[in-house]
Amino acid sequence: MSSLRNSGLRIRGLQVEYTSGQPALGQVSLTLPEHGIYTIIGPSGSGKSTLLRAVAGLLPSYEGELLFNGKSVHDKETLIGLVPQNYGLLPWKTVRDNIRVAMRITSPDRESKRVMEAEISHWLKSMGIAELAGRYPLSLSGGQQQRVAIARAFAIRPTILLLDEPFSALDAITREALQQIFLDNWLAHPATTLFVTHDVEEAILLGQKVIVMPSAKQDTPEILDNTPVFAMKHEEKRDSNEFFEQSKRIRKVMLAKW
Amino acid sequence: MVKKRGLPHLLRLLFVFLCMNIIWYMAYLLMNHPILPSPGAVYEAMFHLGARDVALNVGYSLLRIFEGVLLALLIGLLIGLLMGRSQLWNRLLDPVVYLTYPIPKIALLPVVMLFFGLGEISKVLMIMLILLFQVIISVRDGVKAIPESTYDVLTSIGASTGQKFWNVTLPGALSVILSTIRISLGTAISVLFFTEIYGTEHGMGFFIMDAWLRLDYPEMYAGIMLFSLVGFVLFLLVDVLDYKFMKWRR
Ligand SMILES: Nc1ncnc2c1ncn2[C@@H]1O[C@H](COP(=O)(O)OP(=O)(O)OP(=O)(O)O)[C@@H](O)[C@H]1O
Ligand SMILES: [Mg+2]
Repeated sequence: MSSLRNSGLRIRGLQVEYTSGQPALGQVSLTLPEHGIYTIIGPSGSGKSTLLRAVAGLLPSYEGELLFNGKSVHDKETLIGLVPQNYGLLPWKTVRDNIRVAMRITSPDRESKRVMEAEISHWLKSMGIAELAGRYPLSLSGGQQQRVAIARAFAIRPTILLLDEPFSALDAITREALQQIFLDNWLAHPATTLFVTHDVEEAILLGQKVIVMPSAKQDTPEILDNTPVFAMKHEEKRDSNEFFEQSKRIRKVMLAKW
Repeated sequence: MVKKRGLPHLLRLLFVFLCMNIIWYMAYLLMNHPILPSPGAVYEAMFHLGARDVALNVGYSLLRIFEGVLLALLIGLLIGLLMGRSQLWNRLLDPVVYLTYPIPKIALLPVVMLFFGLGEISKVLMIMLILLFQVIISVRDGVKAIPESTYDVLTSIGASTGQKFWNVTLPGALSVILSTIRISLGTAISVLFFTEIYGTEHGMGFFIMDAWLRLDYPEMYAGIMLFSLVGFVLFLLVDVLDYKFMKWRR
């Protein structure tokens, strides 16, 4: 339908100012093909969350254009799955209800109740939190809440998936397991994904491209192609030569952008 | 609360109730005067009240409270919500609330009676007035206390204002609303007593004052106890609601 030129996520001249005269991120222009994972890395305060919030439609105003397949990302056709930095779960709803609410809103005329419940169970199970279905968010650990938030984002079958440091609250081992789970789920439903992380390794392990945000707001982000690593089997990435080379390259770019 | 702590809590309540009766009985022995009958005499008088009579009086009082509370909630929720979610409305209505809040609402009783007569309307209206300002303020503050980020995910998936209200604003403000109702319920019941003294032949206020005028003290005390029971049941109801809707905080 849409020409190749228009397909995917296009960000043109995005500029955000929370207080006038103080840009919250460097001028961002990105063209990201559909069905890819793009990791975003950069120093604290460089505007990673701001970029996601702009795409998610949470900013009252910004400059520039945000297009998905040629239309505004805030169009009804584009469904956005968001995993905020603070998980964004509704504390007064159980894990199951949190997911159900999002599904009800995004597809009110969805199949039958049974199908929906089965789907919720599926997503909970795939994130390894089936036994938490009836619990309330305040009784969950940070890592458990993150998984619920990810399950919810996947459950609405988004066209764009936005994750803000989704694995930051996890220990290294759980984190690796969840990266694998995340990739498996993503392959089953490859939404165009922006994935913010603090971790250089994670950026390389998950991203098809790695976007390095500059700390200076006059600067522009640097985009590094990571397809060779992205194409590998996940369990083999960490020990590969490409991974090692890519880490060095990204660290260098990050230092230059600091 | 009662449900949560279960049997031990219930036993404790019963024990306190028993102790109060013992103190009452001792006071009765010490005073030895008809203005304070013995607990036994009062319970007997209570027993002899017609079931229909009791149901009618208790029913009327409960109905008035429910109507007043409901009205206060509907109006208070609407105004509190407007003020909590919109800068403009808050700036517009805040001075109004600020100026009218300190007026002792009970002092408005004669005014309400002048405008609305002695009938049902003025009774319900008084209860509503007592509760309304508390509800407005607590709803507004409760709504404001919900972090803006709580709405983020719903906003990003294109939820409507109504969907945000049912899923975030109302449940988020509910705990404050419930505790406000709990606190103002006591005042509402006291006001109900005053308003039931005039212009009605039903209700606990009428019942108690009627027995008083007839110098039937055991029946008067029986009425007071029944009235207290009504209050207790209402408190229990708020507790049950709290238990049902506030599970997430435990
Ligand atoms: N609500 C806000 N009001 C004013 N300024 C803000 C607001 N949110 C963010 N900023 C500013 O915008 C800039 C970018 O913030 P942002 O949260 O996007 O950074 P980040 O890259 O996500 O940082 P971190 O890695 O710490 O999460 C910062 O300078 C921050 O102070
Ligand atoms: Mg951030």
